[in-house]
Amino acid sequence: MTMFTRHVSRQLGALLDGELAEQEARRVETHVAQCASCRGEREQVQLGMEILRRLPPVEAPDAIWVGIEAALEEHRSRRVWAIRWWRLAFAASLILALAGGTYWSVRRGAGQWIETDSVSSITLKVGQIGSVEIAPNTRLRVVTARPGEHRLALARGEIRAKISAPPRLFFVDTASGTAVDLGCEYTLNTDEDGLGLLRVTKGWVSFQWKGLESLVPAGAMCRTQPHIGPGIPCFEDAPESLKKALETNSLDTILAEARVRDTLTLWHLLSRVAVEDRARVYDRIASLTPVPTGVTREQALKLDPETLRRWKDELAWTW
Amino acid sequence: MVNLSDREISAAIVESCRAGDRDAFRVLYDLYKDRVYSISLYFFHGDRSEASEATQQVFLKLMTSIGQFRGEAEFSTWLYRLVVNACMDAARRRRAEPIAADRPRLEAFGRGSSQEDDYARAQMAESVRSAVWALPTKFRIAVLLRYFEDLSYEQMAEALHCSVGTVASRLSRGHRMLAERLKDLVGTKG
Repeated sequence: MTMFTRHVSRQLGALLDGELAEQEARRVETHVAQCASCRGEREQVQLGMEILRRLPPVEAPDAIWVGIEAALEEHRSRRVWAIRWWRLAFAASLILALAGGTYWSVRRGAGQWIETDSVSSITLKVGQIGSVEIAPNTRLRVVTARPGEHRLALARGEIRAKISAPPRLFFVDTASGTAVDLGCEYTLNTDEDGLGLLRVTKGWVSFQWKGLESLVPAGAMCRTQPHIGPGIPCFEDAPESLKKALETNSLDTILAEARVRDTLTLWHLLSRVAVEDRARVYDRIASLTPVPTGVTREQALKLDPETLRRWKDELAWTW
Repeated sequence: MVNLSDREISAAIVESCRAGDRDAFRVLYDLYKDRVYSISLYFFHGDRSEASEATQQVFLKLMTSIGQFRGEAEFSTWLYRLVVNACMDAARRRRAEPIAADRPRLEAFGRGSSQEDDYARAQMAESVRSAVWALPTKFRIAVLLRYFEDLSYEQMAEALHCSVGTVASRLSRGHRMLAERLKDLVGTKG
């Protein structure tokens, strides 16, 4: 039978789940009625769904709740001082935990500076969404503190953020860009010029500067530079030769040393290398892991945003 | 897997939780714990310890930041985003030592269910579990989320950090892979 429309494999699950819009559902059904291959695939999808119904739910052990209560108790018993910023009311409370030193320069209100001396560290509670540990010799400012946006400006020093919230509620500005929380834990340090390092231990962080973005997942790090913004991220466990090559911009070494997981680095490089080198980066990623459906070489080399996003979504499962 | 009354109840409970009602937290936990634990358990190849830890982390995070939530739909999406993050973070940590669905663990897991007294049903359930565990990570988490929580594709896209089209594609492929692995066993669809 001659077919004049594309196969609809990708839509079969959505069709059976009733997730397609009426017109799209009609189109897919029409195609399936005429296409033996897609009919066979629809039966397979349906069978897969039936198979899953044979998977019994499992009761969670009681010990989990016991563990939760114990963890909450421990959390509560920690010795903290709470200071509620009078201007921020319910939105942002800051809790100071003084760790073996003196804490100076706290003044109340958004827009004021917090500065630690050479021996003090502080834990700053960020509303209801997490906390920030401020290391010694750090200077930062609370820019905004309201339920929809918590923003700090890190002038120098180091912070460790632990945030549990929907993405894009917590931001840290530095001289070389802004760290945007995507639900994560990370360490960020910077000097006053903006030369810094972001290291992510859980979740994801997006580091942004003037339209340039580096996505940094757990286990990865990213250097930041003034007037350049975020560098190319790489995993902490990447080969040393690859890390050094990133500092010296040695593309040959980066391509040669990259592992499957280092497609994180290569995916970011794709849009930042010179046009004439782009194909080499594409080919290296393609040699490490299959290019997913919907990603074409032509579109990737044109840096088509949707193609790059789709490719990143697939590659991210190896990161 | 989820009936409407559960969802209606949880909206009211979330409101109480936001007000700091500790008992409401317990009710919320009881409402979702089995589904979160089941997804984690099937995701982690039947490893009860890993599933328990992931479930605990999910609810701890939920309890410490629930004040941010305004409505049930947002809550549900966020809850399962936490589940996905917990599963994927643990999977990343364990990537260096890939998990094989070993026989003793499979059998012990099979014995644990009171619904599987019948030998034939137990065999079937074990085969299904094995097939689910054999799915690549991204397909496994997608079909488990869809099956245990019945999220819409849009909610799944948010929880999985991907597009609705990618969700549709992964579910179609995941279901086909399951069917392919088990076609002999359930050839009659019975």
